[in-house]
Amino acid sequence: MARTAVRYTAGQIAKLGKDNIPSELLSGQGLVYSSPATLAYNSPGAEGFGVKRAGLAVPESVMLIVSPGCCGRNTSIVSSMPEYKDRFFYLLMDETDLVTGRHLKRIPDAVCEVVSFLEGQKGKKPKVVMICITCVDALLGTDMERVCNACEKALGDGTRVRPCYMYALTREGRRPPMVHVRQTLYSLLEPLEKDPKSVNIIGNFAPLEDGELQKFLTKAGVKHIRQISTCGTYEEFLKMASANFNIVTNPEARASAHDMSSRLGIPYIELTRSHNVEMTSLMYKSFANAAGIDIDVSAEESEAAEAVRSLKEHFPDLVFNIGECLNADPFELALSLARYGFGVDEIYATLAPEKFKYVAKLAEISPDTKIYCNMDPTMLYYDVSASRAHISLGKDAAYYCPDIPNVVWNSDVQPFGFQGIRDLMNRIRETMKEVRA
Amino acid sequence: MKGLRKVLTPFAPDQSGAVSVLYGLGGMIVIIDAGGCTGNICGFDEPRWHNARSAVFSAGLRDMDAILGRDKLLVSKIASACSRIDASFVALVGTPVPATIATDYKALKRMIENETSIPVLTIATDGMKLYDEGEAMAYKALFDEFAKEDGKLEELTLGKTPLSFGDGHKDNTLDDYKNLGEGTRLIAASSSGIEAARLLGKPCEIYSSAAGEMAGSVPSGNVLVCHDEVFGKTLRDRGIACDIATFFTLHDDVRKEGDRKITEEDEFTELVRNGGYDVIVADECLKPLAEDFGGTWIDAPFFALSGRR
Repeated sequence: MARTAVRYTAGQIAKLGKDNIPSELLSGQGLVYSSPATLAYNSPGAEGFGVKRAGLAVPESVMLIVSPGCCGRNTSIVSSMPEYKDRFFYLLMDETDLVTGRHLKRIPDAVCEVVSFLEGQKGKKPKVVMICITCVDALLGTDMERVCNACEKALGDGTRVRPCYMYALTREGRRPPMVHVRQTLYSLLEPLEKDPKSVNIIGNFAPLEDGELQKFLTKAGVKHIRQISTCGTYEEFLKMASANFNIVTNPEARASAHDMSSRLGIPYIELTRSHNVEMTSLMYKSFANAAGIDIDVSAEESEAAEAVRSLKEHFPDLVFNIGECLNADPFELALSLARYGFGVDEIYATLAPEKFKYVAKLAEISPDTKIYCNMDPTMLYYDVSASRAHISLGKDAAYYCPDIPNVVWNSDVQPFGFQGIRDLMNRIRETMKEVRA
Repeated sequence: MKGLRKVLTPFAPDQSGAVSVLYGLGGMIVIIDAGGCTGNICGFDEPRWHNARSAVFSAGLRDMDAILGRDKLLVSKIASACSRIDASFVALVGTPVPATIATDYKALKRMIENETSIPVLTIATDGMKLYDEGEAMAYKALFDEFAKEDGKLEELTLGKTPLSFGDGHKDNTLDDYKNLGEGTRLIAASSSGIEAARLLGKPCEIYSSAAGEMAGSVPSGNVLVCHDEVFGKTLRDRGIACDIATFFTLHDDVRKEGDRKITEEDEFTELVRNGGYDVIVADECLKPLAEDFGGTWIDAPFFALSGRR
């Protein structure tokens, strides 16, 4: 029997409604296919900024991974990056540990030995030790706060020890690992006197692209714009507690912002990345009103609009396939591209109910856009030959569409705002020009 | 301290070993995990994943599935996939999660076979053992399910997986296991091959082609080989007098005086410091553990150890 990958059109999904999204498109409904997107997304420590790398976002921190050996296996990829050298350590659990929980008693000694090793042999004492634990301790119900307190007591020198939960089991829970790790990082901040000219941008672990948002803030009189990734020292990181307000650029940082609001008295404003020029303009206007500052976006808005116009002029009939391993919401990006008059043939992404609004609108413009779920087992049989796309966007889309040009758009540094739209459009135009030259 | 790693990253675990044996045999491999273990295996330990799509799936377990022991849900997920995927068998590969909740693999096997009429192999790996043990467990599951007494296969190489041999691996087919018989000549290319032959109760030839190729470039002297035991034995069989140290299994078939199984980083450091060796043949990821060593280091890449191809 000929096997095919399961897919639905935007029109079909819109007709079914938000409460009846087909199970094949949802997360947590079946076995999970090993596609590039699921390996990155389904495995909180696998690549990109998973829990392990994210847990080391605080400057001068190191991590002790307390787990069965399998959980730390792929860390050698990250360990080989110069900025992570001598920052990962492991306390391997065996079967007796699993049954008796005796490994917990060894953690304080292990932490002391790691700190002593770094101080003695490497000449650099860490300011923070993150203890990363995994599914096993999630199921054992380990009280990590207590373990970390015992570690701090054993060290007795002010070095902070915090837990970091790499619990893939809780991915669809209220506090999934990537939400939790952000809360852990910012929980290190202690109350400081407020600096009215200080603002934090929180959301990602690599910096937001240095550009328009920072420029708007500077023009509005902000002197210090801090992001966790641009803090060179632990002391600089601690100054994030003096911010007048937080700007949240990723919904996964919302819980941290909420914590900082109640614990440190720092209010927050959430900005949503969009690839629609008009929506981005509205976002900045709302932001300016909420923050009580003046922002003139006209120059940046014109540049973004011009980049869209130029792409449209050069490649008026361009058709896209879009994956989810990219710095964009694939459904929002598809909708924006369709609104600009481009074609969107296929999307490879998990359709969370909160994304239904984009699909419903997409169905009005492009009802035949096909939506596949990266997680569905039938993606084993995905065949790109029926696709009419000229270019794909996203790392996973390159995997599915190896014979058409691809824009990966997946860097650690996060694009944002008009600048993000402009740069993406220009990158697509350049890629297509090269291919057709 | 026991279990503490300050220099090395963890070695390839048993579950990666199991998948390396089962990969490409035409079965549906279901890793009983939440997703992280599958990410480690496909995204790191299994180079064949990058070249061709294969039916390797995560069970996608969530906390309440594990806490409540929702085996029926897992069976229905697998049955649903079996109705949409062609598979000659289903292999359940264990991880720390089923080890923690004491999953009853025998019951799962029976339930899935009743539901799908497809043979089910169960490999109770737990992520805490090493890859060679997982490979041996997978071989045993294949032998138990498919091997026949009257098979006519002439020769079968065991243990030549990417984890031991990198790009030089040799893949078997499912028919190889189905045609395995009394007269089949077994070649153990790494430690798991010796164990697999032992499980079958058959003798085997112990030979590593990677070591065979390297033999001519090892200078004479007091030599330490820290690698897989078959790698060391092959060098020894080629006339290189050496001690064998291994982080993996060391069988009595190989062990000679001076050989040892090591577990901790410090043990390797002490061995080099006190052994008086002139030559070390080992993956260079071990070099930082032997900073005092002033002799000749012959790099012998070992993916299961360093993750380096």
